[in-house]
Amino acid sequence: MQLFLEQMLNGIAIGAIYAMITLGLALVYGILRILHVAHAAVYTVGAYVGLAVFAATQNILLSAAGAMVSCAGLGFLIERFVYYPLLKYPPYVPLIGSIACLLAIEEICRLAAGPYILSFPARLPFPSFTVGGIVISSTLTAVYCISAGVLALLWFITTRTELGLAMRATSQDMAIASAMGINSHRIISLTFMIGSAVAAIAGILVGIYYNQVYPSMGAVPAYKTLALIVVGGLGSVPGAVLASILLGVGETLLIGYAGIPLPRDALAFIAMIAVLLWRPQGLLGSRG
Amino acid sequence: MDEPLLSLREISMHFGGLKALDRVSFDLHEGEILGLIGPNGAGKTTCFNTVSGVYRPTSGEIRFRGKRTDGLPPHRMAALGIGRTFQIVRPFPNLTVLENVIVASGLTCYGRLIPSCRSWKGRKTREEASEILARVGLESQAGQKAGLLPLGNLRRLELARALALKPHLLLLDESFSGLRHEEIAQQEELVRKTRESGISILLIEHNMRVAMGLCDRLVVLDHGRKLAEGKPEAIRNNPEVIRAYLGRGGSANAS
Amino acid sequence: MSEYTITIGTLIAIQAIVACGLNVIVGYAGQISLGHAAFFGIGAYASALLTTAGGLSFWTALPVVLGITGLVGLFLGLPSLRLREDFLAITTIGINFIVVSIFQYVPFFGGALGIGGIPRIVLFGERIRGVSFFLLSAGFLAATLAICWLFTRSWSGLACFALREDETAASSMGVSPVRFKLTAFILGTAMAGLGGALYAHFMRFISATDFGFPMSVMILSMVVLGGMGTLWGPVLGALVLGILPEVFRPLTDYRMFLYAALLLLMIRFQPGGLLGENSLARRTFSRLKGGKS
Repeated sequence: MQLFLEQMLNGIAIGAIYAMITLGLALVYGILRILHVAHAAVYTVGAYVGLAVFAATQNILLSAAGAMVSCAGLGFLIERFVYYPLLKYPPYVPLIGSIACLLAIEEICRLAAGPYILSFPARLPFPSFTVGGIVISSTLTAVYCISAGVLALLWFITTRTELGLAMRATSQDMAIASAMGINSHRIISLTFMIGSAVAAIAGILVGIYYNQVYPSMGAVPAYKTLALIVVGGLGSVPGAVLASILLGVGETLLIGYAGIPLPRDALAFIAMIAVLLWRPQGLLGSRG
Repeated sequence: MDEPLLSLREISMHFGGLKALDRVSFDLHEGEILGLIGPNGAGKTTCFNTVSGVYRPTSGEIRFRGKRTDGLPPHRMAALGIGRTFQIVRPFPNLTVLENVIVASGLTCYGRLIPSCRSWKGRKTREEASEILARVGLESQAGQKAGLLPLGNLRRLELARALALKPHLLLLDESFSGLRHEEIAQQEELVRKTRESGISILLIEHNMRVAMGLCDRLVVLDHGRKLAEGKPEAIRNNPEVIRAYLGRGGSANAS
Repeated sequence: MSEYTITIGTLIAIQAIVACGLNVIVGYAGQISLGHAAFFGIGAYASALLTTAGGLSFWTALPVVLGITGLVGLFLGLPSLRLREDFLAITTIGINFIVVSIFQYVPFFGGALGIGGIPRIVLFGERIRGVSFFLLSAGFLAATLAICWLFTRSWSGLACFALREDETAASSMGVSPVRFKLTAFILGTAMAGLGGALYAHFMRFISATDFGFPMSVMILSMVVLGGMGTLWGPVLGALVLGILPEVFRPLTDYRMFLYAALLLLMIRFQPGGLLGENSLARRTFSRLKGGKS
């Protein structure tokens, strides 16, 4: 029982991190209908910049700030240079651009920082708990608090502010939103920047949690997050979050705890196929 | 010929809770031009869509040339002899005007394996298609990419494609909307000539002058129900029809 | 002509065949297929197994390979009929992953070790290798292009173009979307299967990772780069994307980066492809020809 609970907690933490990576993808898909595969590269850059700043300053807050700013900038550049000009073409054109971006950025990371796995020995300023014999490490607490905070902030922005309203309007119908005076392009850029900044946080958290930062760390999340936005419901951000957490728990329990001999990463795709066969609109998506 | 070319019996179309069509019945006789009119949202295009196969009616029967056809898909309806144009024009933008028409002339080949392997670039095919373009006045645009045409020409192209199917019945969905004054007269002439060539026509039209002038008979729909049916003069003076239009702020335009 | 150049040339020819197949599905019929490498793999594994465990010769196995790949294409093409664009894109990616996983984990397919010892192709008593293999591949490529050319001239091909342009209008003109989408799928996947069979007998060793999503992206890039929907586009795309890594080979470390950067620039500035309408190449060519557009 204790092991189960521990694994459950781990699973939710992993799910929360998945949620923060998938969030950016879901936001971008919702507003542009583009599969922003390059998002995984943004996440990787976040980890690297975070590590670099931390190595220089030993300050985790500066590290986070630096990473968020860099990634927001990177997201902005990708949107302006790659996606926006290609919007009028069929969707596989920006998709190829996105994949090329992913490759190029990963290569830059590899060339700049080397192909080896770097460690991220940061101590997160969060307490650790022991509850009923279960140890909750400071990293785990950090993941919970930070992800909860980020998700709450995003929920607040999208549902309670004018910016959020503009974002939702633009994602529903860009032309009408423009006609109503919303600067669609600015909203799109902002969406990218927000999603990218959140990915930066996820990158740093993953780097610290696993104590590993390496150039291809984005490869698996790149495709898993695709599966996750399908499972959650294309275009649904809450769906993506829910799907992420479920996957995190599922992966940890089914494979870590129950020991089913499936490759860990396959679960996301099995879930995706199942969803496409039986409930194509996903968990929280709407039909059509 | 006693039996009507097309007959709708108690056709209903429900979309969830919405009753787009409610037990609509009418007949269309061979050689006539029948107009389907009514205020916005009356269900006219929905009615078309059940006839051409885009929708399967929730209940009711459609008979075309004696055969029951409700629920058959659009490509089968085309093979049975129904051609249609669309309210919002749907050209094949990257194909030329001539090629757009040739697509329709392949009707007899699409259903069978060996014929569908034959070439469409033959001289006979091109000549037949050119002849149809000439009928609608588009022969000078034959080599143009269809996506570049202005609306008036696109409406004529829609008609040309439908004619290339050699249909018994032509469904024209608001083929006069968006046209300029001169174009309307030309289109009217085309419709009349089409009927003279032996094709029956069912048309949806908002332009009252056109509808009254062109159609032998009219069917009026309102809120999915058939309100009235009869010759244009009778419909024009029918108090219920007038109320249906005026009650909505008068969408009938006299010009 | 060095042995190395011939190897590269042969691979380019094989990839061009697969790209032509994808072009039928995506370029001619306007369908979405982001997992085309799966069929490349099915063709490779089918030919490998039939010639090793099955004991058949390449030539006897070939019709069976094409049949199997086409049949699988038929079954996997069926979802395309019901799914909306976005879902379809991700489904095809998922199919790619599943097929590769099956090859990787089901012992019948050799598992992680793949299948080795695939025999050479025997033609007129000669075991084909080197230059003759290149010529054989080029021959198959020519045959593939001929089939594509005939297809574009046939009513089937025209029906597919119509579906691509406007499905609703096409169906109102007698084109059955089910029939012709499936036709394109079967034709396209069978071509990929042909490429796969050649690949298996060329490399003489195959493993599941050769046929994953990155390969699908590569093939799609060839089609898009060359010019989707054109006859020679896939060939040109295969040529360019096949030669680029070699051009950059001396730069070893920067190779991947330059490749990705160049792909990005090409897609950004010539999204219609090198042979597409309005491409730089086309416009320059027509200007040279005297202005006929």
